[in-house]
Amino acid sequence: MIRFDQVSKRYEGGHEALSQLSFEVADGEMAFVTGHSGAGKSTLLKLIALIERPSHGQIVLDGQSLSKVRRGGIPRLRRGIGMVFQDHRLLMDRTVFANVELPLVIGAVAPAERARRVRAALEKVGLLDYERQLPASLSAGEQQRVGIARAIVARPKLLIADEPTGNLDPQLAVEIMGLFAEFQQLGTTVLVASHDLPLIKRMKKRVVVLDHGRLVADVAASEVQ
Amino acid sequence: MSAAAPETAEAPRSGRSRARRVAGWREHHGWSAAASLRRLAGRPVGTFLTVAVMGLALALPLAFYLLLANVQSLGDGLGRNAAVSVFLKPDQAGPQAELLAKTLRERADVAAVAVKTPQQGMDELATMQGFSGALHALDEHNPLPYVLEVTPRADLDAAAFERLSADLRGERAVDLVQDSGQWRQRLDALLALGRRIVEALALLLAVAALLVVGNTVRVDIASRSEEIGVLTLMGASHAFVRRPYLYAGIWYGLFAGVLAVLLALAVEWALAGPVAQLGQVYGGRLRLGGLPPWLLLATPLASALLGWLGARLVSAWQLRKAA
Repeated sequence: MIRFDQVSKRYEGGHEALSQLSFEVADGEMAFVTGHSGAGKSTLLKLIALIERPSHGQIVLDGQSLSKVRRGGIPRLRRGIGMVFQDHRLLMDRTVFANVELPLVIGAVAPAERARRVRAALEKVGLLDYERQLPASLSAGEQQRVGIARAIVARPKLLIADEPTGNLDPQLAVEIMGLFAEFQQLGTTVLVASHDLPLIKRMKKRVVVLDHGRLVADVAASEVQ
Repeated sequence: MSAAAPETAEAPRSGRSRARRVAGWREHHGWSAAASLRRLAGRPVGTFLTVAVMGLALALPLAFYLLLANVQSLGDGLGRNAAVSVFLKPDQAGPQAELLAKTLRERADVAAVAVKTPQQGMDELATMQGFSGALHALDEHNPLPYVLEVTPRADLDAAAFERLSADLRGERAVDLVQDSGQWRQRLDALLALGRRIVEALALLLAVAALLVVGNTVRVDIASRSEEIGVLTLMGASHAFVRRPYLYAGIWYGLFAGVLAVLLALAVEWALAGPVAQLGQVYGGRLRLGGLPPWLLLATPLASALLGWLGARLVSAWQLRKAA
């Protein structure tokens, strides 16, 4: 699903966020990317979604080389990726329903089909009764679940999450990670960046460890203790 | 990669996918139009102010147009239809005057001809203040010629009127023709100037309306930079992100155009009374020249186009900044 091949990213000003990074994530696999802050976790996710371009090396996503995706092709690429953010990035002036609906509106799905899929997504994250509420009236954990419903509503093959539990207490964090594991079981490839090692260990999934932009460990799910 | 229908513009071009493209296109436009309308309704005060400023700016040229049309019809009513006084040479007596009057009455561009004898002229003068003394001094000798009061047909245009006037001057028996020609020419020149001023004003105010919409959309985009960022991350194309703002421009323009038409109709209605009164004083020759229906229809359409253009110009660079 994802293949990084000798990928380096140097930002303007000379800071090297990633250097010669190579790894692969298989179809339907779930993996964590971890490391101290500034290790390059966010940069890695940004390269996948083409928010940033690599300085060197090649990234292949679902058989497609990202270096060949031009500016005009970026929207189409992103419509195939569900993204979850630490600060959930919901639109606070719209209902839960309208927020979750957005990827389907962008995908030009007809209204009746939109409503059906939005409700299915909200049901999966346990928020079906909240569709008419504004995000501000929800708790932090509920808001993050709305963000996840929005990420999966268009049924992307790849789900990426950048510190999705960063603002949540441990109990809620476990719940959220459990949701990601459920989506993996439904066939979605999931890549989660997180620095919460105890939580990651609990999940028993593959862990990719970065340090100063270099891959220092790649622990298979079966070896996680 | 997504199971959701890909965005229309990028789907392959087979027959079935074209149908889906069209459906998707309609879906996007319907959603954008409705969403932008909801946003406008969501902040009624701001929307009203923008529409009001733009509407007033567009109502002004309409009101001037109305004023100009009425001054023109006033000029037509007073100037063109006024009788022309044709003074015959002193050697022309009653029979020749009657004969000329008869010939003139047969002309297609003449409505009526009245013959005024020297005695009638003298009587008229006698009724005027200060003339009676002077008339006594004439000592029974009447120096006044026969005068024909020629009333042209009411619907003559300026050129036809000029021809009639020239024909009258060309008559052998005629000494002097006193018409309103010069007065007409001055009025026509003034009206031409007025029209040019209205055109220039309309252009300036249209630019003002464009800027008003542009600025409103600019502020709107600036306040929604977060939303734009989220949409872009979710794979919205540039066109998709921009579309609601273009619709907002169209709505602003359309509403402002309708407001401008209503304001102009109100001015027309307010003018109707005084103009009718003026018309009565002038023996029913004046009517209020209203705004033509095509203008009432064209104003909202042109205004919607202005709104779209304003939104388009601003969103092009504002969105690039926000993204």
